[in-house]
Amino acid sequence: MIHLMIFLPLLGSLLLFAVPPRWREEVAGFFAALTLGIGLLIWRGGGSELFSVPWVPALGITYSVALDGVSLTLALVTAFMSFVAVLYAARRVSNPGTMLSLVLAMETGLIGIFAARDLVLFYVFFEDALLPALLMLAIYGKPGRMRALVKFAAYTLFGSLLMLLSIIGVKYYGGSPTFALADLVQNPVTGTAQTWLYLGFLAAMAVKLPLWPMHAWLPDFHEQNHDSGVPDVMGTLYKVGGYGIFRFGLTLFPDASEALRPILMGLAAFTALYAAWIAFRQTDWKRLLAYAGLSHMGFVGLGVFSLNETATIGAMYLLAFQNVYTGALFLSVGMLQERIGSLSTRVGGVMTQAGALGGMTMALWFASIAVPGLAGFIGEFSVLLGAFQVQPWITAVATLSAIAAAAYALTAFQTTFWQGRPLGSVRVWDVRGTEWLVLGLPLAVAVFFGVYSAPALNLIQPAVRGVLATLGGQ
Amino acid sequence: MLQVPDVALAPMLPILIVLAGAIASTVLGFNLPRRALTIINLVMLMLSGVSMVTLWSGPGEVPLTAFGGSLQADNAALLLGLTILVGSVMTLLVSLDTAYRARVSFPEFDAMLMYAVTGTLIIAFSGDLITMLIGLEIMSLASYVLATLQDSRRAEESGLKYFLLGTVGSAILIYGIALVYGGAGSLNYAAIAAQTATLTPGNVGILIGGAVLLLAGFGFKVALAPFHQWTPDVYTGAPTSVSLFLSTVVKVAAFAGMLRVFSGALAAAPGWASTLQILIAATLIIGNAAALFQPNFKRMLAYSAVAHTGFLAMALLGTAEVGGAALGYYLLIYTLMTAAALAVVAALQRTEEGMTINDLRGLYYRHPAYAAALAVCLASLAGLPPFAGFFGKYLVFQAAFQNGYVWLSVLAALASVAALVYYLRPAMLMFMPDRTPAREYPHGERTPTTLTVALGVVGVTVLGILPNLWYGWVAVPGVWGALAGR
Repeated sequence: MIHLMIFLPLLGSLLLFAVPPRWREEVAGFFAALTLGIGLLIWRGGGSELFSVPWVPALGITYSVALDGVSLTLALVTAFMSFVAVLYAARRVSNPGTMLSLVLAMETGLIGIFAARDLVLFYVFFEDALLPALLMLAIYGKPGRMRALVKFAAYTLFGSLLMLLSIIGVKYYGGSPTFALADLVQNPVTGTAQTWLYLGFLAAMAVKLPLWPMHAWLPDFHEQNHDSGVPDVMGTLYKVGGYGIFRFGLTLFPDASEALRPILMGLAAFTALYAAWIAFRQTDWKRLLAYAGLSHMGFVGLGVFSLNETATIGAMYLLAFQNVYTGALFLSVGMLQERIGSLSTRVGGVMTQAGALGGMTMALWFASIAVPGLAGFIGEFSVLLGAFQVQPWITAVATLSAIAAAAYALTAFQTTFWQGRPLGSVRVWDVRGTEWLVLGLPLAVAVFFGVYSAPALNLIQPAVRGVLATLGGQ
Repeated sequence: MLQVPDVALAPMLPILIVLAGAIASTVLGFNLPRRALTIINLVMLMLSGVSMVTLWSGPGEVPLTAFGGSLQADNAALLLGLTILVGSVMTLLVSLDTAYRARVSFPEFDAMLMYAVTGTLIIAFSGDLITMLIGLEIMSLASYVLATLQDSRRAEESGLKYFLLGTVGSAILIYGIALVYGGAGSLNYAAIAAQTATLTPGNVGILIGGAVLLLAGFGFKVALAPFHQWTPDVYTGAPTSVSLFLSTVVKVAAFAGMLRVFSGALAAAPGWASTLQILIAATLIIGNAAALFQPNFKRMLAYSAVAHTGFLAMALLGTAEVGGAALGYYLLIYTLMTAAALAVVAALQRTEEGMTINDLRGLYYRHPAYAAALAVCLASLAGLPPFAGFFGKYLVFQAAFQNGYVWLSVLAALASVAALVYYLRPAMLMFMPDRTPAREYPHGERTPTTLTVALGVVGVTVLGILPNLWYGWVAVPGVWGALAGR
């Protein structure tokens, strides 16, 4: 079952090349829906237990996967957003075969990242998700993509190769027989070596999270991607740094996490505030969303690095649902671009002709800036609540970014959707067809989990407790 | 009393079969067309491979030797020999299509190639320094001719450069051998290894000098910085099928020699490891930095071959068991991916100068299969999973890291980032839409070349997903512990 969920999208992705072009959209949609369905079945069944077989016995590399708790939540969100992305790409992108194939290939990489319980396997999936992202940017990107591409790849690889060394070091210094997480936890590394290895591991995670000063690839990546926003949805899902630190960082490097806590929390808080501040100055919707996402990721980092139960639960909650509403916002920006031919935030008056688009975008923005009753609020509030107990001053700084979020979001929304419509501008059509689903489904999820958080919390809470218990938690 | 030399044919069989191919090409060249010779040689290489498989010694079995241990068909030799054969087969397949266009379609080309392969196998099977040197010289002399065979100024220039620098390298190597003999009192690997434990201080100095000179000599052959300067010029100036041969088979053989000498005979000798460490650091920095700024794709691949020398040599810093296994795996992968990438270049280039990176723009829309294959090769060269290059890189990092070379590993990781940038640019350009007219040779897609490319791509993909298929063989306990023989 679990292997099906991981590899079904890849199978679909390869199959797309064999299917006649006419049927590609349907086949892609079928595979994406099937993956989501299998994910829901796994969830109904209470998650999937650890499955472990040797992969390269001579090296102690195992194929260990499990989907439960936090990883199941994130895998479900990934499957859901991939489905939405496929739904939208099928209609919006001309000749979408390659794009759909890449979306599905990336889905496998992402679900694999969440399922992996072996460090080398984690690394393999981690890099596998990178290739489709690069190809999407290369094939569908805008003129400045080469620079963005090289920047994105160089940052990512810089981090992950240092992580690879850490992975080798963790096994070697700890003396573990395999790279499986369970074995590594049994054979911990101690002392100074742990700190150095944690720093190597952090290098990769800080790029993906992303954490200042490793964030510079992010705005360019989103800006240069295809107008439809489909690659951006996948890019949003790619911010797996918070999860990596939670799953592997905290369990393998407990002492180092505690020692470095103030510094890392400070960096995270600074990232949140700095990104919100820059977002305020953006006139391109995608750059604005990129910086907004960066700011949210600052919160995720703040929560995870605080080692506090409430904050970590909040961080995982935020990580999961930020993908939903920020992804949907990227798609709504794609719709806006399709209608007015620009990504500027200074268009004006779109609301007068496209009321539903404006309304749904606004509701998603509300989720994004943590208005109570929507999913974003629960995450951000828990993070702040928990982090205050650990580092009140640093958290106070991060709180400011919540105010800044309201400022940049509402300003951009106002100048685009309200104000006067310029004379002589084209008529803008409203949401129609599958677009209702594309924006409606994520919005429904954001509202549902904003009002009724129990299903997600039931999954996240025990997992977080389990991880923090090994730290002697607080 | 006259002594009959210890001549055993069985362990020599793989080499003799290849030599028979070389002699056949020399003699039959007067009567048969070149294509027929190439096919005969391909069969010979296959037969040689089969004979190697039959020589495989299971656990507890004693490997066969000839000439009193000067030639040994142990498992290490067989694994390296098979890698050499894979590269040679790929070279011959590509030459079937491109030799005529490159104006090297004579029987001599095949003869020289097979002589060179004979030399490389002798290096892999060597049991003492003299055998190794003989193999190295056969290989080198044949390679000099191969590089010059094309009737062009560029080929002549590159061949001459290769010859002059190569002979200097050989001279240094021979001097090193002489000093090692002076220090250890023997040329046999096993005897040297036994001697290094019990040396007087005076002899240690001589041995260190010999080891360092050997290192410099091998440095020329495998293109370790600062002895790498001939490589980009020769690889670019020679016909592409020859570049393919030089950058895969010849390099594999030179590494086989290094493995025998440094991880086997001189494993316990002091001095060379710290020198090698500095050379590797220089190679990683120079090779990767230079490749970043190459506008010509073929030249970029040449510098990438230099950069890969740095990664490959990291395996020598590991213990013989871990490092040997890492090198054994990486060399095959390196052969597959480099040969496949150069095969695509050989098929699509308009002239033997190769193509510029900008020419690759939009290749995916003109030659989708070749573009996808080249992208896989470049991803593998860059070390991205799920392709086998990742495991190769992982293994050499592990070998060096576990033996205490942490800072070198970090440097190698940073160098890989630069590598990613120059592999990525052509890989991504191929997928970008392009409206300018095609800049490739229009009739490049032919069956043997496509077969070579397919072999490389399938190889790096399958060995990347299931590394155990090959690593399971190279990591059999005891294979690399007995590099020096008994």
